Amino acid sequence: MGTFIEKILKKEVGSVATILPDYIVINDGVSHTAVDEISLVFDPQRVWVFHDHDVPTGSPEAANILRKNLGFAQKFGCHYVQAKGTGYQYMLDEVIKPGEIVIGGGSHGSIFGAKQALGINVSIPELARIVETGRCSITVPESVFVTIIGKLSEGVSIMDAAMDFLAKGYDVKGKVIEIYCPTLDDHQKAVFCSMVCLTGAYTAIVVDEQEESAVTLDLANVKPMVMMPCATRAEQVTAKIVEKSELEGIKLQAGQIGGYTGGTIEDLRKAAELIKGKKLACGFRLSICPATSRDYLMALDEGIITEFIDYGAQIHAHGDRSEVLQGAGAMGHKEKLITTGLYTYAGAMGCEDAEVYSASVESVIQASITRNI
Amino acid sequence: MEKQFSGRIWKFGDNIDTDTIIPGKRGTIPSIEEMKKYAFELLRPEFGSTVQKGDILVAGSNFGCGSSREQAATVLSSNGIRCIIAKSFARIFFRNAFNSGIILLQCDGIQDVCEDGDIVSVNLNKKTVIANGKTFKVGEIPENLFNIVANGGLIEDTKKRIAEGIKPLSITPLTGKQLRQKGYTLAEKILRKNTGKEHISPGDIVITKPDVFMVHDIYTPYLVDTINKIGVDKIDDPDKVVLVWDHCLPTAVAKNDYEHYNAGFEIAERFGIKKLHIGEGICHTIMHEYKYAKPGEIATATDSHTTTYGGAGNFCTGIGTAEMAAALITGELWLKVPSAIKIVLNGHLNKGVLSKDIILKILGDIKADGGQYKSLEFTGPVAHEMSMQARFTISNMALEAGAKCALFEADEKTAEYYGIPLSEIDWITMDDDAKYEKVLIYNIDELEPQLSCPQGVDNVHPITEVLGTKIDAVYLGSCTNGSLEDLAIAANIMDGKKVAPGLRFIVCPATNNVFKEAIAAGYIKTFIEAGGVIIHPCCGLCCGMPYGLMTDDERILLTANRNFIGRQGTKKTLSYLCSPAVAAATAIAGVISDPRSMDSL
Repeated sequence: MGTFIEKILKKEVGSVATILPDYIVINDGVSHTAVDEISLVFDPQRVWVFHDHDVPTGSPEAANILRKNLGFAQKFGCHYVQAKGTGYQYMLDEVIKPGEIVIGGGSHGSIFGAKQALGINVSIPELARIVETGRCSITVPESVFVTIIGKLSEGVSIMDAAMDFLAKGYDVKGKVIEIYCPTLDDHQKAVFCSMVCLTGAYTAIVVDEQEESAVTLDLANVKPMVMMPCATRAEQVTAKIVEKSELEGIKLQAGQIGGYTGGTIEDLRKAAELIKGKKLACGFRLSICPATSRDYLMALDEGIITEFIDYGAQIHAHGDRSEVLQGAGAMGHKEKLITTGLYTYAGAMGCEDAEVYSASVESVIQASITRNI
Repeated sequence: MEKQFSGRIWKFGDNIDTDTIIPGKRGTIPSIEEMKKYAFELLRPEFGSTVQKGDILVAGSNFGCGSSREQAATVLSSNGIRCIIAKSFARIFFRNAFNSGIILLQCDGIQDVCEDGDIVSVNLNKKTVIANGKTFKVGEIPENLFNIVANGGLIEDTKKRIAEGIKPLSITPLTGKQLRQKGYTLAEKILRKNTGKEHISPGDIVITKPDVFMVHDIYTPYLVDTINKIGVDKIDDPDKVVLVWDHCLPTAVAKNDYEHYNAGFEIAERFGIKKLHIGEGICHTIMHEYKYAKPGEIATATDSHTTTYGGAGNFCTGIGTAEMAAALITGELWLKVPSAIKIVLNGHLNKGVLSKDIILKILGDIKADGGQYKSLEFTGPVAHEMSMQARFTISNMALEAGAKCALFEADEKTAEYYGIPLSEIDWITMDDDAKYEKVLIYNIDELEPQLSCPQGVDNVHPITEVLGTKIDAVYLGSCTNGSLEDLAIAANIMDGKKVAPGLRFIVCPATNNVFKEAIAAGYIKTFIEAGGVIIHPCCGLCCGMPYGLMTDDERILLTANRNFIGRQGTKKTLSYLCSPAVAAATAIAGVISDPRSMDSL
C-alpha cells in the first residue's frame, strides 16, 4: 500500500472502501440540516453534536436550530458539546488521535490531517445516512504530494502560505493532499491543512516522510496575501486571492481576529505581540474571538485578553465567527471588514453590500492601526 | 399665547396609556398629519374626526403612562389640543407634552364636576381652572415652560432663544447654612442646591443646570437630526457631556448598528466632546465608575435606567432626545419636584439574599406604577450596610416602579467610593422632619430571594414558589447586576462546578474595568471552565440585542431589569429576573434553585 489514505483504509486507489468513522460531527453551521433526515442513530457514542457557530444565539431562528440539535442529541444519547468553542479545533486539540477518521458536513475536515487523522466532508444526505448506518463507502481517491520547505519572512504567516498555495490553482480537486512539512509547527500544520480544503481537495494529511513531490512550496517566497470578496457562498472556493500589495490603501471599518482560523492561542499571541506599544485607530472596530475555551483560558492566563481590552478591541464568545448574520461583529451597509475568517461572500458577515477580505493576523493588526489594507 | 383661555372638554379616566393615545402600529405612519387621525382610535373613535383646535382633555390619574413614545404627545398637539388637566401625569409623557406645545395642569377635583362637552376656563396667572361654576387650584408653571408652549414646542422655542441670545441662568448658590437646613427630602435637598432656591416643594417646577449630560449610542443619530433642525454649531459646555457606545457596540444588528456607531463620532467632533467611551461597557456603570455622576449633583441622560446613580445620592433623570438637544444647547433642564416615599430597610441581609431581592420585593409590593414620578428614598441599617454596588442595583431597578429618582444617603462608603471627604457630602442625609408622602418599612431579616416572573417586572414571587422550574439559559450581567461584586458572588458559587447539561450560560461584565478585574480575580476562568461563554461589556441581551436570543417556550433567567414580552426572544419566550446568586445556583442545577442551600455560599 502506497499513499497515506491507502494505508489507513487498507484499500487501493480507485477501489471502494467501507469506512466506520470514529467520529461523526454535526454542528449549528451547515450540518444541522442533516438532523431533519435522521430517524435513528447507529452508534450514539460516535456522534458529536456541537453548538459552536452562532454563540450566543443571534436570533430566535438560531435558538430553534440549537434546540433541534440538543433535542436530537438528548433523544439518542449522542455527545452534546457547547461552550468549548469551534468544534473542529476542540476535537483536534483534545479528542482526535492519529489514524482516526472524522466525518463532518462542512468543508474544513481537512484540519484533522494535521494530526494525521482522516477528516472527510460529505453532503448532508450522506451525513444523515452515515449517522443512521454507522458506515460510509468511498472510492479511494488519488493523492497529490506537496512539500513545504524554507522559512517564512518577517510579517508573513502560514495563512499567507496557504493562500499562496490556493492562488496557484494546482490540480488537487477530489484528491488527498499529502503534505511533507518538517519545518512547520503543529499550529501551522493545522492552519495549512484547514485552509487547503478551499481547493476542492478531498482532504489533507501531514506525512512523516515523502518519496516524491509534485509541488514544492518554498515559504521564503510567500508574500502577504488577501482573499477578496466574492458573490455567493457557492463561489467561495473560487474567490480571487491576490498579493496584499495590490490592495494597499483600501479603507476598512473593522477587523476580526478569530474565531476559527486566527483564533488559536498561537495567533492570539502573535496579535498581542504586534499591538504592543501601538494604538487602535479611532473609528476602527476590532473583534477578538478565541477559537476554543482552551485558547481563551490560555490567553487569560498569559494576560493577552487584558491587553486586547486595553488596546480597545472587543472580545467575543469563543466559537466559530467566520459567518455572522446577526451578532457581535456584524458589518453595516457598504462597510469593509478584514478578517482571519475564511468566508468572504456577500452577506457572510452582515449586510450583503459589506465587503469581507480574508487575511492573516499580521494584516488585520496592521489594518487596525492604519485603517487601510 | 394667552394666559387665560377656555376650551371644550374631552373626559377620560385613570391610567390612559400612550398606546391608547396612539397605538404602536400607527406610530410608524410617516406623517403626523396622517397619524393624528388615529388618536384615541380604540377608546374614542370619534376623536380624530371631531376634535377641534383649542379643545381640552380632562383625565384622572397617571395620564400618559406606558411607553415613552414622543408621538403620544405630538398627535395631541397636532390635533389642536392646547391643554390637558389631570390628577397626575406619567413622567416622560409630561415632559414630551410640554415639549410638543401642550400645557399640562395638575388638578384633583375638577373631574367630579364636569363631563364631555362642558367648557373649562383656565387662568394661568391665577393658577385656577373653572368648570360649571366651581374653581380649583392648579400647580405653578414657570415662564420658560409657558414660553416653550407659546413658541410651539421645544425645538421652536430653542431656536427662538438662540436667536435672542441665551441668557445664562443666574443662580445664587445657597450658603452652607442654607444647604444644611433641615426638613427636606433627599430629592429636595439636591434640587435646592443646584437651583439655589431655598424653598421648594413637590409639584414645583424648577430650572436646573445639570452637572453632567450623558447620551448613549441608541440616540446619537436622532440627536444629530434634532440638533440639525435647531441649527446650532456649538453647545453650552462640551466638558459636561459623556458619550457612551454600549447598546450598539459590538455592532450586532447589521443594518442598524453601524449608523449608531458613526453618529457618536459626528457629535463628538462637531461639538468638541472629549469624554467618549467606545465599546468600554454599559453607560450607567461607566457614569459612576468614572465618577461623572457625583453625590449631591444632578445628572441627566437619554435613558430610563439613569436612576442608577441615586445609589450615590446623585439626582438623575432620563429625558428624550429632543429635550437632550435643547438641554445641551442651553445647559438647562426643567424638573418637577417629586414627592417622596421613604423606604426603611431594617434588619440584616442574610447569606444568599442580595440587594436585588430587596428591590424586587418592593416592586412586587408597589407595582409598576407604585413609584410613579416619586423619589424613592432608602434608609435604615441595611441601606447603610450594603455596598455601593448593591445600592446602585436598587436605584437602577427602582425605575421599574416608575420612579423619578431613587436615592440613598451619602455615608462613609459613598465618600470612599468617590475619594472625597465625607464632610463635603454629609448634607445628603434624611431629616426626621422631612415630609414624605408615605413610609414603607421592610424587615430584611425575613426576606428570601425573589424573582420577577413572566411577563412583567412587578410579577414578583418568592423563590420558594418557583423552585424547580426548568431553565434553558442564564444571563449574568447588565447595569443592574454586572459589577465585580456580582460576578464574584456567582463565581464563588460556581467554582469547580459545571453548568447543567444543555443550559446556556452567558456572562457579560458591565465594563472593561470590571472585565479586567474579573480576569485577574479568576472569575472569568471559573465561568468558562464551568461551561459558560463571555460576551464583551455592553447592554447585550438585557435590552434584547442578539446575544443569546431565545425561541418559543424557552425560559431564561437574567440578572437584568426587564422581562417584557419578546424582549429576549419571541413573544413566547419566558424571562425571569433574579439576583446573581440565584442565577449561579440555577445555572448549575438547570432549574430555579435557592443559593441559600448551597455550601459554597
